[in-house]
Amino acid sequence: MADAATIPENLRAKAQEKGWPDDLLQQALAAGASPDQLISYMDRGISAEQARQVMAGQQGAAAAAAPAATVPAATAAVVAAVTISDELRAAAEKANWPLDLVEQAVGIGASEADLLNYMNMGVTADQAREFMQQQAGGASPFEPDLSWMNVPTEWNTRARPTKHGLTLDAINIGKYGDVPDVWPFQTEMPRGAVPIPGVEGMGYSIFEKQEVWSDACAPLYEEAIQRRWRPATDVPWDSIQPLPDDLERAICQICTHISEKEQNEADILGRWEPEISYGYHEVKLYLATTIFENARAVEVFRKRALSNGGGLGVQSSGWGFRSVVDARNFTEMSTIQMVLHDSITLGQYIYGEKYAKNAAEKFIFAHSIQDKARHIAYGITHLKYALLNRPERREEVQRYLDKGETMLVQDDRKDPSTRAAFAIYFGGGKDNIGEGLRIYDEMRGRALRQYLARLKWATLDRTERLHPDLKAVLEAAS
Amino acid sequence: MPVFPSVEWFEALKNIVNSSPEFRHNGTIDTVVGVKAGGKIFELTFEAFECERVREATEDDLRDMDFWMEQDDETWKAMIENIKTHGKADLAFTLNTLDLSQAGEGLCRSHDGYRRDAFYRFNQSIQDFFDASAKIDTQFAAAVA
Repeated sequence: MADAATIPENLRAKAQEKGWPDDLLQQALAAGASPDQLISYMDRGISAEQARQVMAGQQGAAAAAAPAATVPAATAAVVAAVTISDELRAAAEKANWPLDLVEQAVGIGASEADLLNYMNMGVTADQAREFMQQQAGGASPFEPDLSWMNVPTEWNTRARPTKHGLTLDAINIGKYGDVPDVWPFQTEMPRGAVPIPGVEGMGYSIFEKQEVWSDACAPLYEEAIQRRWRPATDVPWDSIQPLPDDLERAICQICTHISEKEQNEADILGRWEPEISYGYHEVKLYLATTIFENARAVEVFRKRALSNGGGLGVQSSGWGFRSVVDARNFTEMSTIQMVLHDSITLGQYIYGEKYAKNAAEKFIFAHSIQDKARHIAYGITHLKYALLNRPERREEVQRYLDKGETMLVQDDRKDPSTRAAFAIYFGGGKDNIGEGLRIYDEMRGRALRQYLARLKWATLDRTERLHPDLKAVLEAAS
Repeated sequence: MPVFPSVEWFEALKNIVNSSPEFRHNGTIDTVVGVKAGGKIFELTFEAFECERVREATEDDLRDMDFWMEQDDETWKAMIENIKTHGKADLAFTLNTLDLSQAGEGLCRSHDGYRRDAFYRFNQSIQDFFDASAKIDTQFAAAVA
């Protein structure tokens, strides 16, 4: 034992408050307890008598039971004064935690409930002991483990900015640009990092490249980031002047319809994001921009509806939404949403731009065109990738589109408000709704023609298989 | 005074947008665009934040472009005059509106169902490129005038 230890002032003050005499303090300090530990014991209500008894009578046994190198004698002595419930004792036995470890943990303030939780979670006795040692500032000093600095990842990587800046494609070099056909990890480990054993899975369900990939998703992500716009300040809101009541009601109904379906797309893509494993982070990033752009569309069309004396209209019948919500795999969802539905929506935007009644609406539709065309670009390039890599999925995709088109037709039949609102807007008023309906049909025909052309680019010919009602629209418009 | 259509005329627009913070503010634009006017074909190459190159092209070159814009010379002239008058295309003369206003294939044409959509994805940048003609005095070639 060392010479009588010096008692710090704060420890002496606490000891006087709690009735611990100086000789007990010196004995504990000499046994290896730190001043902070002793203050902590006093604060937990351990009396001088309890401490003295165990220091005097049980020090040897406690020190022998606990690993001498890890538990100071004074700590072992003090914790010996605690009592352990039968439930905790049984749980400790089951979890292979020695009783002295449990006593030590309770002695330094751990609750029984917490200890039971740790045991049930599978925390081992060694892990608990190590943790307690660190918390107590134990005998062995903390030595940083620097083995991670020798991690066998690809080193000396020096990506260089391009004319577009330092893009995702620019950093996809060497091993980091190797996108595997199957991603074998269930954790959130970044592609190119080194896995460690024992990490918990993150619940991903998509591990095959063909299920989500598009070679365009990295440049589309960069494009979306670069071409962003701000509805609050970029739209020339002052250009909006009072419109005749029928036209204001029409544009407000159109805004209601668009807000609803853009929110639906955001919600759906948001549900798929956590399904895609980290190996395909370019896809995850691109979809995040799509969700953001959906949100921006919800924002800007809602703002238009509420900015000129009007308000929102009636909701949509929602048949088309369900065909996307109910999709059971990613390619089914993306093909119906980002090829079929977004082709229809893009058609509405390009005709909205043409028939805009003021510079604000012109701006809104024109910028929404850009965003929506990007969504389609992902949908169609992914479809092409999936079909080229899994040609046996061709009929499967045709069936998804059968369903999607059928639900779209249901919306046409059950949702007269959208068609009439566009017709009034295009025609310039209720009195010219006949001309407006002609333009509406022209819009649908054009959108369907472009939809088929895009599918053809993706190697899927749907000319003959198009839903009969849509085929009729196409033929009438040509 | 640059003559429309000519490489010189498109070069003038290129120089304006490449020094324009507003054009850069639109974001990156990566597309190769054709223009058929006055019996000639021009190729405009956009890359990153600028118009990279302007050159006269041939019918065969159209196949390698994302899309090209084609309308009668009278409409080209009306569009450029409208831009000059208003400082930019007004509601009736935007490229998208002109695309929808023409019977048949429209203003924007392509051999490729996917690459044609570049007309939509970069619409505002291409619009700003033509709107830059408000800053120059245009003389129309005999075929267009």
